[in-house]
Amino acid sequence: MKRGYVKSSPHFFRPVKISMLLLVAALAGLAWLIPAPLQEQADIARVPNPVKSAWFLLWIQELVSYSKYLIYLVLALTPLFLFLPWLHTGTPAAKASWFLREQRLVAIVALALGAAVLALTVVAMFLRGPNWQLVAPF
Amino acid sequence: MIRDFARHLFPRAVLQRDLTLSYTFCLGGLAFTSFLVLVATGMLLLFYYQPTPAAAYPSILLLESSVTGGKYLRSLHRLASHFFLVLIVLHTLRVILTGAYAKPRELNWLTGCALLMLAVFEGYTGYLLPMDQLALWATQTGMELVNTLPFGGAMRTVLVPDGVGEPMSLLRFYVLHILVVPGMVLLLSSLHFYRIRKNKGVLPYL
Repeated sequence: MKRGYVKSSPHFFRPVKISMLLLVAALAGLAWLIPAPLQEQADIARVPNPVKSAWFLLWIQELVSYSKYLIYLVLALTPLFLFLPWLHTGTPAAKASWFLREQRLVAIVALALGAAVLALTVVAMFLRGPNWQLVAPF
Repeated sequence: MIRDFARHLFPRAVLQRDLTLSYTFCLGGLAFTSFLVLVATGMLLLFYYQPTPAAAYPSILLLESSVTGGKYLRSLHRLASHFFLVLIVLHTLRVILTGAYAKPRELNWLTGCALLMLAVFEGYTGYLLPMDQLALWATQTGMELVNTLPFGGAMRTVLVPDGVGEPMSLLRFYVLHILVVPGMVLLLSSLHFYRIRKNKGVLPYL
């Protein structure tokens, strides 16, 4: 064994197994507390107001509610996201680290976009009422 | 057999200093664990679910009222799907913030992006299946969002040839949800794990 190295089994596999078991236990427990919703049978003649998309698409619904052309902003950012490794310049860091100095711009943009998606989701989920008007959450 | 497979998937030895939980928080592994829970619970749900507009909702009612543990099983499946999406997003954010997307890991970055998009599509196709009001109108709204995209009309025609919740669209969503998308997720996940090994390591820069 080279200096500084340890065998994967058990040193690496053990924390992996523990984290998997903890997640399964958390899911199993939470599923008792949070039942899956089931509304009345689907009826195309009865349109709810407001109509909301699945929670993970709400940010796009909120965005296009300002202007349908804002979808092109999402489409423009997608290739930048995909080609991130090719946009990266400079030498790779020697060891793993959060918020590397040379990648600060990427980190700031990623956090800003993440915060924007989260904010749009929260607004659409809790602050949109009938006719997509802003309403108080409680 | 599973133990041998896992041992071959990962390196025999790892750098001790890199066995730090805060490098990765196991987010990718936890997302895959959620996927495994989804496969297990989804396979059990298949024994009762009927993918036709007339029978889908009654089959869910039957599952929830007459099958022991049926309501719990559906709740677990739904919750695991939420966790799957959130964990993949957090994993992607972690990869960006630690710079782990950079070369020589660019192929794994692309497979990861594909997995993220597939996870969203898997969630979307699954949303319609209960055929309640929530399912119908969330899917309908999703289709309106697809319509705003360039070539969105063509995509809509492929996914929904006869209207959201009609026989053909429900069948297409069903086949995509239980077979096509999970199969692609499994294939790409295998490639993703293989590339981690190929890039000589489990953790960033190992």
